[in-house]
Amino acid sequence: MLEALVYGAIAALISGTVLPLLYRSKNTRKTSFGLSLISSILLLGFAGAILYTGKEPVFPAIRYLPGLDFTLAADRLSAGFILLIAAVVPGVSIYSVEYVEHAKSESRKNLQTALTNLFILAMLMVVLAGNMVIFLIFWEIMSLSSLLLVLHDYSSEENKKAGFFYFVMTNISTAFLFVGFISLFKLTGSAEFGPLEYSASELALPFLSLFIGFGVKAGLVPFHKWLPYAHPAAPSSVSALMSGVMLKVAVYGFLRFLLSVFTPELWWGVLILTVGSLSALFGVIYALKENDIKRLLAYSSIENIGIIFTGIGLYVIFKVEGLESLALLSLAGACFHAFNHALFKSLLFLCAGSIVHATGTRNIEAFGGLVKTMPVTSALFMIGSVSIAALPPTNGFAGELLLYQAFFQSFAVTDPLLTVFLITALSSFALTGALAAALFVKLFGITCLAMPRSEKSRLAVEVQKPMLIGSAVPAALCILAGLFSKQLLSLAGWEIEFPDLLLLGLLLGLIYAALFLIIRSKETSPARISETWGCGSPTLAPYMEYSSAGFSEPLVMIFKNIYRTKIVHKAEYLDKQESLFKNGNVEIRLLRFFEEYLYIPPAQAIESFSKYVSSLQNGKLDSYVLYAFLAVIALIIATGGLV
Amino acid sequence: MIDPLFLEGIIKVLFVFVLISAGLIISTRNLSSVLTTYTIQSFLLSAVSFLLYMIDGKGQLLLLAGLTLASKVILIPYFISRIEEKIKIGRDLHFAYLEPTPSLLLSIGLILLSYTFLSRVFEGLPLSRLFFFGAVIGLSLTLMGMLVMFSRKKVITKALGYLSMENGVLMFGLFVTELPFIIEVLIIIDLIILVMLTTILAVGMDSSIEEYRQKFRKLQIWTGVESL
Repeated sequence: MLEALVYGAIAALISGTVLPLLYRSKNTRKTSFGLSLISSILLLGFAGAILYTGKEPVFPAIRYLPGLDFTLAADRLSAGFILLIAAVVPGVSIYSVEYVEHAKSESRKNLQTALTNLFILAMLMVVLAGNMVIFLIFWEIMSLSSLLLVLHDYSSEENKKAGFFYFVMTNISTAFLFVGFISLFKLTGSAEFGPLEYSASELALPFLSLFIGFGVKAGLVPFHKWLPYAHPAAPSSVSALMSGVMLKVAVYGFLRFLLSVFTPELWWGVLILTVGSLSALFGVIYALKENDIKRLLAYSSIENIGIIFTGIGLYVIFKVEGLESLALLSLAGACFHAFNHALFKSLLFLCAGSIVHATGTRNIEAFGGLVKTMPVTSALFMIGSVSIAALPPTNGFAGELLLYQAFFQSFAVTDPLLTVFLITALSSFALTGALAAALFVKLFGITCLAMPRSEKSRLAVEVQKPMLIGSAVPAALCILAGLFSKQLLSLAGWEIEFPDLLLLGLLLGLIYAALFLIIRSKETSPARISETWGCGSPTLAPYMEYSSAGFSEPLVMIFKNIYRTKIVHKAEYLDKQESLFKNGNVEIRLLRFFEEYLYIPPAQAIESFSKYVSSLQNGKLDSYVLYAFLAVIALIIATGGLV
Repeated sequence: MIDPLFLEGIIKVLFVFVLISAGLIISTRNLSSVLTTYTIQSFLLSAVSFLLYMIDGKGQLLLLAGLTLASKVILIPYFISRIEEKIKIGRDLHFAYLEPTPSLLLSIGLILLSYTFLSRVFEGLPLSRLFFFGAVIGLSLTLMGMLVMFSRKKVITKALGYLSMENGVLMFGLFVTELPFIIEVLIIIDLIILVMLTTILAVGMDSSIEEYRQKFRKLQIWTGVESL
């Protein structure tokens, strides 16, 4: 019975992929997104049943090569992540029905529809994969389909660069996964995801390579740089899927490995926690400085992935220390935050897509006053912002609260050095939370409130219904998941000491209502509507408002050591001795630290090496015979044992 | 019946001549001299094969000697000399990577390398001195042929280098591995095809199909019809 649900979902997604490739019409695209909606409902039933009953379905294994089976598997962990997919896909599908129509040509619209379905299917299959080979196959399909989606507007130079960057990074990720899985295979002799009863030193290589491999895909600092490039290039619905689901699939892969290890070591946890905290902090600090709405959201995704990995790091540390209930709490926090982030980040990306569509720009400085021109989108955008800023009673608050609880109870750890480390991590975590709140005050305030800062923003019109409904689905889920967080967690089998947010929400609502009524009844004179006092100037102009850069300036000042600036000189001369100046420019810009010190040097080394190698292929027969000659001589020397 | 030791002495003398011919192929600039040297080298090989037959009495060796004589001493040099006549290039003056003198020095190095290599490889095998030397000469001849292929510019010289390389293989086969006769035959057929291809390519490598035909006709290779 359960299996049938999955087969149905897979069939729906496959036909959703194939249909738009066969027939080019608006109805086909609608049908295709309808199919992905149906598949997500089927998956919801499937995942919910597994989580509730704890019964695992049995899938047949099909042997396609000697020793290699095509097999699916689903346990509670995969069910959790299937639930996540099923929660994000409906909103994205409904939204895309209208959004995809804005693409340039008929064939691109269909291609985007087909690829979106394929992308969802691939992510689902990665989570369902029964062994490492299947996992890697669908992992690659997932990467490639998302790459094509990032490149959907391939004519612009910037997008091409973004696509290339993403392609390189995703391949690095896959390469590390290969190393990790092959070393696991060497250790266990099987491609199954079985329990790993090996010592931590034997598992060090798989752990490190899988951590890097999944970390690159998830966007952990310092491998995060592809996110801020790929997201602005991708269509917003795809960004929602990539940020909401694909990053979580990487988290799933890492958890799949980590949870099967019986005896992790302390340094694993410390490493994961450190990288997680740094990602969270750097992500939000870079986001504060950003003025491109989608890039800002991309940095915010880095921050949230950092928070999820913080939870995973805590899980490992507590597990090593033998604190099982705390370990479980941290793990629940990480998983729940992953689920929540999927919801509010897809909501924010969908709203951002609507705003970008309505205004035609991604620059925050050009927005403003959207609450009047696009009221529904603004309201939904606010729900997303409130959730991601972790204000009660939304789901963002519930998820982070679990992690805070785990942190607060860490006094149970006996090792003093570790305690100090955990407290440091806690303070950094708290700082991240505060900065994230500031970030979303800035984003929402500058985007939606006050007066329009540009003509585009003033003339913006509300987007069509499907896009509004599409964004409303995750918004509703955000609030519901927050209010019913305790109930949800206990339904999923996690009986955790946790405040009932439903009660809290009701209380908050009552307090607000009471306050409103009190103020209303005490009101002496009716409300007077007039313009804000403008210090004597006759009218208020948009340039008097807080700008995005102005809002973040104080924080930028505080963190000015992190945003290092760099002075770049470029000069051209008329003569070779460089004495007659022709023209040139000097600029002071932000130092792109990770790019300039971490990514570009190896890239340059590889490039110069490949130039050298390709100069060997010079098209001359003589040289090729010479190489063969040298190879023969080398072979003679080597096999003769003459060295 | 002639004394085998005497025959072996002659074979050893022939080895020296084979090496000298290989050196000449590396360094000679005149194309017709290179061809003559190759012909002589093949003849020497054929003679070695015949002398081995005199010692061993295996019919296969006699066949091989005859085949080598027919193909490598008569047929292939005849083809190549025809090409040389037609293309009217008498000399191959240019060298790539190595000039003649360094090439000769390098080939001495190659002989030493083959010697040490094979003495390691055949250590402990019941192989007479004569056969060991034959193997060494064969291997060095192969390597020297390869040297010719990359150090000379003209296609005909390259082809001759390849042919001399194959002579090395034959030599090695004669003394060490005893290649089955059928393989020797196949190699020789290959060589004849190679020479034909070389003819075609040497004449028309740089031209389009139409020009190629023209050139072919003008040079009267294989057509037998006088040019217009």
